[in-house]
Amino acid sequence: MTKQQPPPHGRFPDVKWHERLNVLNVSLVIFLVAVVFSSPALQGSGRDLDYLGNFLRFAGNFFPPDFSVTGVVLLALVETFQMAVMATFFAVILSFPLAAAGAQTVSPKWLVVTARMIMNLIRTIPSLIWALIAVAVVGANSLAGVIALTFYSTGYLGKFFSDAFESVDVQIAKSLRAIGADPVQAFQHGMWPHAKPLVWSYSLWMLEYNIRSAAIVGIVGAGGIGVQLFFYQDYQMWDKFATVLIFILALVTLLDFLGEWIRKKVTNRMNRRALAE
Amino acid sequence: MLTIWNKVTPRVPLPERVDGIGDVAGTVDEKPHLSIRNLGIRRGGRWLVRNLNLEIPRGEFVAVVGPSGAGKTSLLACLAGMLEPAEGEVEYHCNKGCRHRPLDFRRRTGIIFQNFMLTPNNTVLSNVLCGRVGRYSCLRTLFGFPYSDKREAFSILNDLGLGDYLYRWAVEISGGEQQRTAIARALFQEPELFLADEPVSNLDAYLSGRVLGILRQEASLRRRTVFCVLHNPDLVDRFADKALSIDPGKPEGWRLRDVH
Repeated sequence: MTKQQPPPHGRFPDVKWHERLNVLNVSLVIFLVAVVFSSPALQGSGRDLDYLGNFLRFAGNFFPPDFSVTGVVLLALVETFQMAVMATFFAVILSFPLAAAGAQTVSPKWLVVTARMIMNLIRTIPSLIWALIAVAVVGANSLAGVIALTFYSTGYLGKFFSDAFESVDVQIAKSLRAIGADPVQAFQHGMWPHAKPLVWSYSLWMLEYNIRSAAIVGIVGAGGIGVQLFFYQDYQMWDKFATVLIFILALVTLLDFLGEWIRKKVTNRMNRRALAE
Repeated sequence: MLTIWNKVTPRVPLPERVDGIGDVAGTVDEKPHLSIRNLGIRRGGRWLVRNLNLEIPRGEFVAVVGPSGAGKTSLLACLAGMLEPAEGEVEYHCNKGCRHRPLDFRRRTGIIFQNFMLTPNNTVLSNVLCGRVGRYSCLRTLFGFPYSDKREAFSILNDLGLGDYLYRWAVEISGGEQQRTAIARALFQEPELFLADEPVSNLDAYLSGRVLGILRQEASLRRRTVFCVLHNPDLVDRFADKALSIDPGKPEGWRLRDVH
């Protein structure tokens, strides 16, 4: 057992109080202050209501779900799925150049700022508003839904994709440039293989998200299962409403599992060496 | 075929006529392939190299030696045009007498990076094919490289003992195999100039000899200039024509000696 060495300067170097004031700690404190400040939002109507009773009475309307409408719901669900698929497809195509323009590692500064501003603008407008605009333009049908969801998801996918491009190590693309690749080739061979699994996984997530959104945009008449949802809600047919929800849940869960499975396959392959060691 | 590389002695007499590869082949060079004039490299506020003057003829194997941090990688980066020198210039001469800056010479520069710079989740074959990105337009390579290129890449990989790993991802193979993939990419490119940064750091004695033998042969038989960072003095003696040693303490203390 060796004799314990004293620290080189004799005193243990403590962290000074002002050194603890980093961005993380300060913003955490500000958030906690904001929580206290926001407590008035919890105020209800002020009347003495039986919250639990209200909830149970309303939730009771949903049970048992009325499966007699299964056929209609399935048809609407297929239409919703088609809307979501088309919207995701167009959104991927549209957001791709937008994302490349918005990635700091790919584009010059002015283009990044412009592209990000466009994407922020698109994201700011909720899908329901996009749907209202689309219905006003092409009428109340599934095309309106596709248009609405396309715009809406372009804003999101553009953001996700440009994050994916930025997460890729640019050194490899630079090294390809050094042996004569043009910018497109450097992107295709140096960055794209790395970004591809991320892009695909985000696209699948968007598809799943679009199915959920498609249920919402249907409320303003943009086709799909939302029309059913709105109709049953309007006529207070909560048992049929519950059936619709169950089917949406089933489809979304299915896609979620599928996406998870694909993600796992890809990451497993990328980490195989790390796991083996 | 596998053993041929090994038997190549470092001093192969120059054949009269070189096999016809591009514009490299078969002319008598009056001009040096590469001239470095008054080159100074400055990084992190200190000079790594200063007043470096070199004239390297075509087909010369130059070993770059020196301790870590001496600026060997920075020198290669300067030659590749990836790093702008603080002063002086690097110039390449083609056979017809034209002169190029490193940036215009990119397509003809094959680089073996110290950390390989392979695309991790791309196949070994695709990584090697990337050596020839400079030859084709982006439209031509958008949906893959020509089939003849694939066969050629395969034969190079086969020679380096990687024939079975064609469709493995680069992350899935070992460090030594990745290094050989990077070497295969440079060889497949068929450049006029090789810039190899410690190309045998992860390889055993047998493979080191083989890889350097290949580079030696590229220099001797095909008149390609090789700049190779090496740490092992035995390998320098066995394979290099000249050794450029860089001194980390003295930026102007570089020395070029003939290896005999």
